Amino acid sequence: MREVFAIIFIVAGVLVFVIALLGIYRLKYVMNRMHAAAMGDTLGLGLIALGLLMMGQDIFHIGKYILVILFFWMSSPIASHMIGKVEMLTNKDYDERVHGK
Amino acid sequence: MHKKNTFLQKLKAWVNGEDTLLHADEYIAKRKQPQPKQWLRSPSVEKIKSNRALYSFLCVLVAMVFITIMMVVVSELPTFGNASNPGNNEVMERYLEKGIEETGAINFVAGMILDYRAFDTFGESNVLFLAVICVLMLLRRDSKNISAAEEKEIAEDEALDAVDHKSILQVGAKYLSPVIILYGIYVILNGHLSPGGGFSGGSIVGGGLILYAAAFGHQSVQRFLNFRTFTWISVGCLLTYFACKSYSFFTGANHVGYTIPKGIPGHILSAGFILPLNICVGLIVACTMYGFYALFTKGDI
Repeated sequence: MREVFAIIFIVAGVLVFVIALLGIYRLKYVMNRMHAAAMGDTLGLGLIALGLLMMGQDIFHIGKYILVILFFWMSSPIASHMIGKVEMLTNKDYDERVHGK
Repeated sequence: MHKKNTFLQKLKAWVNGEDTLLHADEYIAKRKQPQPKQWLRSPSVEKIKSNRALYSFLCVLVAMVFITIMMVVVSELPTFGNASNPGNNEVMERYLEKGIEETGAINFVAGMILDYRAFDTFGESNVLFLAVICVLMLLRRDSKNISAAEEKEIAEDEALDAVDHKSILQVGAKYLSPVIILYGIYVILNGHLSPGGGFSGGSIVGGGLILYAAAFGHQSVQRFLNFRTFTWISVGCLLTYFACKSYSFFTGANHVGYTIPKGIPGHILSAGFILPLNICVGLIVACTMYGFYALFTKGDI
């Protein structure tokens, strides 16, 4: 039973990564691409780590996965936030590009 | 000045140097400067390049010489994938069978790069140090290579940076950078027992320092890592590495008289010099990583 749930989570995570990869190639503007890339880092990695966590042997094993998830969920949104901030501050046509004004 | 009509008068004036004296200023301005003869003529690149035929001939010649040298070397090498090559059996066997016994390190890679091939790693650390020195020479800000306009621009940037409160980044860096630096130190200290070592651990520590500097500004890092400490750490680590390794180099390639205790493989204090060498390499790499970041963004460490 544990294995089945783990497989479901890992496959879902890999699917999210595939979608993120497609998005990075498909989308043209930095904000859209950032959204796709950050989704892979947070949701995809979270699902895969959750699936692996279910297969964990002992408490240290599980604790390491929780630390990995915590680390990525702290660092990846901050990195995306900084990229977005730089784009907003440096692009002169930001309003025109994003809001279509 | 009376008119010189006769030839004799002209001759007399010439002998006395009247013309020269009267037009001395003009003469001084017009005369040719005596030029020292260049006995050792240095070849000028422009002169060679202007002669296109010679230039292309020399290019082809130099390329041909190097291609010939390399081809000769390659033709002397044993064929690739041959089962009887020394690389396929002797070296690998020696490393895998006697690695723990001879180096004391469980991580074979650490044993290889810091014991069997430590001289190579010393060269790599020197390359890193040289690279950061080159960047330092080119990019460091001082009074000689900066104009008033640039100074003003930098001051404006710093004022904008001070006003900009990066609260999200600062909260993230406050909790993440100690963990990152601690993990980097763990990777360095555990280099002989598990995958890792000086290069990877040092770059993790450098990444933690960069995150800290990006969030809290360079001044907060300068409290413990300024230019002086940077130089001392880099030079001190390279000299320590040199001293540690030259001990075993000078006592003989086969570690004649090598009495550094290897300890029990698997313990944290084991493997002879590998642990201190890992620490040296890690400190150099961390300083180099942070030094590059600081020089490229701010122009000073």
